[in-house]
Amino acid sequence: MKKIIAIIWKDAIMRFSGFSELLFFIILPIIFTFLLAGGTPGGDEDTRIRLLVVDEAQTALSAQIVSELGASSAVRPEVVSRDEADEQFSQRRASAVFVIPAGLDTASLQDGSAAVDLRQQPNNLNASIAQRAIQTALRRVSSAVSAANTAVNEREKTMPFASDAEKTAYFDKSLKLARELQEDTPQRVAVIRAATPDQVEYDPRANSSAGQLITWVFIPLFGISELFAYERATGTLRRLLTTLTRKATYLLGTISGQVLMAIVQMLLLVGFGILVMQLNWGRDPLALAVMLVCSALAAAAIGSAMGAFVKTSGQANGLSIMLGMVMALMGGCWYPLELFPPAIQTFVKVLPTTWAMQGLLDLVLRGGGLADILPEAGVLLGFAAVFFTIGVLRFRYE
Amino acid sequence: MQKLFLIGLKDLKIAFRDRAALMFMLLAPFLLTLGLGFVTGRFSGGSTSGLSDIPVVIVNLDKAQLGDALVDVFHAEDLSALVEPAVADSTAAARRLIDEDQAAAAVIIPAGFTESIMPTREMLAAGAFEPDPVQIEIYTNPARPTSAGVIKAIVDEFVSRVEEGRIGGMTSILGIPGIETMSPVEVESLTREMFADANEQDFSNAAITLRTDNQGAEAVAFDPLAYMAPGMALMFLMFTVSYGGRSLLAEKIQGTLPRLLVSPTAPWQVLGGKVLGIFLTGYAQVAILILASALFFQVRWGDPFGIIVLIAAAVFGASGWGLLLTALGRSTGQVGALGSAMMLIFGILGGTFISLENMPAFVRAISAITPNAWGLDGFTTLALGGSLSDLGKPILALLVMGASLFALSAFIFGRSNVMKR
Repeated sequence: MKKIIAIIWKDAIMRFSGFSELLFFIILPIIFTFLLAGGTPGGDEDTRIRLLVVDEAQTALSAQIVSELGASSAVRPEVVSRDEADEQFSQRRASAVFVIPAGLDTASLQDGSAAVDLRQQPNNLNASIAQRAIQTALRRVSSAVSAANTAVNEREKTMPFASDAEKTAYFDKSLKLARELQEDTPQRVAVIRAATPDQVEYDPRANSSAGQLITWVFIPLFGISELFAYERATGTLRRLLTTLTRKATYLLGTISGQVLMAIVQMLLLVGFGILVMQLNWGRDPLALAVMLVCSALAAAAIGSAMGAFVKTSGQANGLSIMLGMVMALMGGCWYPLELFPPAIQTFVKVLPTTWAMQGLLDLVLRGGGLADILPEAGVLLGFAAVFFTIGVLRFRYE
Repeated sequence: MQKLFLIGLKDLKIAFRDRAALMFMLLAPFLLTLGLGFVTGRFSGGSTSGLSDIPVVIVNLDKAQLGDALVDVFHAEDLSALVEPAVADSTAAARRLIDEDQAAAAVIIPAGFTESIMPTREMLAAGAFEPDPVQIEIYTNPARPTSAGVIKAIVDEFVSRVEEGRIGGMTSILGIPGIETMSPVEVESLTREMFADANEQDFSNAAITLRTDNQGAEAVAFDPLAYMAPGMALMFLMFTVSYGGRSLLAEKIQGTLPRLLVSPTAPWQVLGGKVLGIFLTGYAQVAILILASALFFQVRWGDPFGIIVLIAAAVFGASGWGLLLTALGRSTGQVGALGSAMMLIFGILGGTFISLENMPAFVRAISAITPNAWGLDGFTTLALGGSLSDLGKPILALLVMGASLFALSAFIFGRSNVMKR
C-alpha cells in the first residue's frame, strides 16, 4: 500500500510541477464551460431567438405585429434601424431581419396589398424558426380583419347589402366581434415537463457543464498512455521493476493515481457548476459519485489499453487528445445528442463518452437518482473491464 | 535571401516528418470535420444542420374532427422528414415512453377538444359563444428540449389555424341579423348554405403577405461543412504556428541554433527563415485540409483565388501569434502547453464550436483578436458566393494583426538573448 501511495504521489508531483498543467486541469475546463454555457442562456434568461425588426411603417398595425412577436415563445424581437439591421445581417450576427415597410396599415390590409419582408441567412435553423413565428404573428394580427372580410362576403352571398354604408357598418361590427372573440380565446395548449418528481428546473447550461466535464477529464485519462510510454522510453520503468516493486503494484499505483486526480478534477468542475452556475448537481450525491467514478474508470481503462500499444510519448499525447476530442464530439458532449441524425445516435452508443454524458444528464436534467443511472454505470464498468483486461495483458514493460 | 528560404524549407520538411505533429496538424482536424459531418447529417443527404425524425407520441382521446386533423398533421408528407409520429392507446403509455427517454414529447388530445372549438347547436341558439376551454397536453422530455420545442411549435400552429377558423366562422354566423331569433335547425341550415364553398383558406390565410429572401434570388445553397471545416483547420493552425515557434527554442537547447549563428548567417536571416518555415508549414496544412475536404466531402469552398489569398492572410495573422508566444516563452514545454491552450481558446472565441452569433457581446468583441474569427468570416463569405473583392475587411485585419505581432515579437527577441551569438 505504501508503494502504491508513493507512486501516486510521485506522479502527482511530476504532473503538477509546472503551471501549465493547471491550465488544462481546471482553468481551461472552466473557461470552456463558461463560454459554451454562455452560448446557451441560463434558466432565468430569455432563451428565445433574437429577431431584428425594422419598423418603417410606424402604424398601429405595425405596433400590433411587433407586440405579437414580443408575446411569441420562439422569438425575441429587437427593433433597430434599417442600417443597423443591414450591418448585423451582413456580418452574420443576425439570423434574420424582419422589415415592416412603410405604408402597412389597416387600409392596405383590407384591400389585400399588405406585405412584409423577411431576410434570412441560408440554411439557418434559427431563421426557419423565426419565419414560422412571424407567420403565426401575422395570422393573429390579420385574422380579425380576415374574419370581418369573410363575414361581409358570406353575408353578401345570402343577404346582399342595400348600400355601401350598410356594408361598411357590417364590416366594422364584424371586426369588433372578431376582436372580442380573439381576446376571449382561451389557452388551448398546456406544456408539462416529464419525469421530474420535484420539478427540476430545466437549465440548458447543464449540457455544457456535463459535456465539458467529460471532455476535460477523458483526455488526460487517455494520457495515461503517455505516462507509460514516457517511463518505458526513459528507462525508469525498467529500473523500478528491478526493485522489490511488483508489476501489479506499479500498474495499480499509476492508474489509481490518475483516476484519483481525475475525480478531484471532476469534483472541482462540479463545484464550479453548483456554486457559480447554480446548476443542480447536488440532488443525489451518491448517484453523482457513482457516475463520476465509473466514467473515470472507463477512461482510465482506455488510456491503459492505449499505453500497451503506443511507442512514443509524442504519439500517445497526440492520440489521447485526438481520440478524446472525437469521442467527446460524437458522444454528445459538445452538441446535444438529440440534434444528431437517428442513425448516428444509435452508432455512437459504442462510445463511453455517450454513456457518461447520458448518465450525467439523467442526474442534472431529468432529476434521476441512483436507480436511473445504473444502466449507464454498468455499461461504463463494462468498458473498464474490457479495456483494463487488454491493457494489463498486452502491457509492455520494456 | 537564399539562406532564409533554405532555413524555411528545412523547417517545413522537419514538421512534415514528425508523425506526432502530423497527427495534430492534419489527422485531428480531418477526423473532427468528419465527425461534424456525421453529427450534422451532412453525409446522410441532409444539407441543413438540425433535427430530423423527432420521435413524438400522439394520444387521440378526442376521436372527432379536430383531433383526427391534428393526428393527420403529424403524418403529413411535408413533416415526414422532421417528425416520426407514433400513436399510443393511453395517456399513461405515452407518458411512460417520455419518462424512459424513448420520445421527445407526447401530444395528448383530450376528449371533447373538437366540441370545445366548434360551437354546438345549443351554443348558437342561445347566442352564447363562450367555449369551455379544453387543453391539449404536450408532455415534454426535459433531455430533448429542442425537439420538444419543435413539437410544441407544430401544435401551436395547428391550434392557431383552428382558432382563426373558429373566429372567422363564428364572426360570419353571429353577425347575421336576426340570428338570435332563429331556431337551431335554421341556424344549421344557414351555416351549411354559407360555407358550402368555403375552404380552410378563407379563414386561416394571413391577409399580410410575407415575402422571404434568402439573400437574393441567386442564393447559394450553403454547406454547413464549409463553416465547420475551416473552423477546425484554423483551430489546429494555431497548434502548427506554436509548434514552429517551439522549434526555435528547441534548436537553442540542442545547440544547433548557436552553431547556425556562428556561421555567416545573420540573426535576422535565421529568424526570418524560422518565420518563413512557420508560414510555409501553416499554409501547407490549411491547403491540404481544404483540398482533402473538397475531395472527400465535396465541400464547396468558393472562389479559388479568394481561398489562396485568404489562407495566406490567415496564416500570416496566426504566425504572428506563434512568434509572440515563442518570444515570451522560456522553454519548449512552456511554449507547447501555452500553444495548445491558445489553440483551444482561440478556437472557441473564434466561433469554431459555437457560432459567434449565439455568444454574448463581450465574447464577440474579444474574438476580434483571433485569426480564427476573421478567417472564418472570410471563408464563410466565399462559401456563400463571395469573391476576393468581398474579403477586404478580414484580409486587412489579418495582415494588421500579423504585422503588429511580428513587430512586437522582433522587439522582444531583440531584448532577449535567444538570437545572440
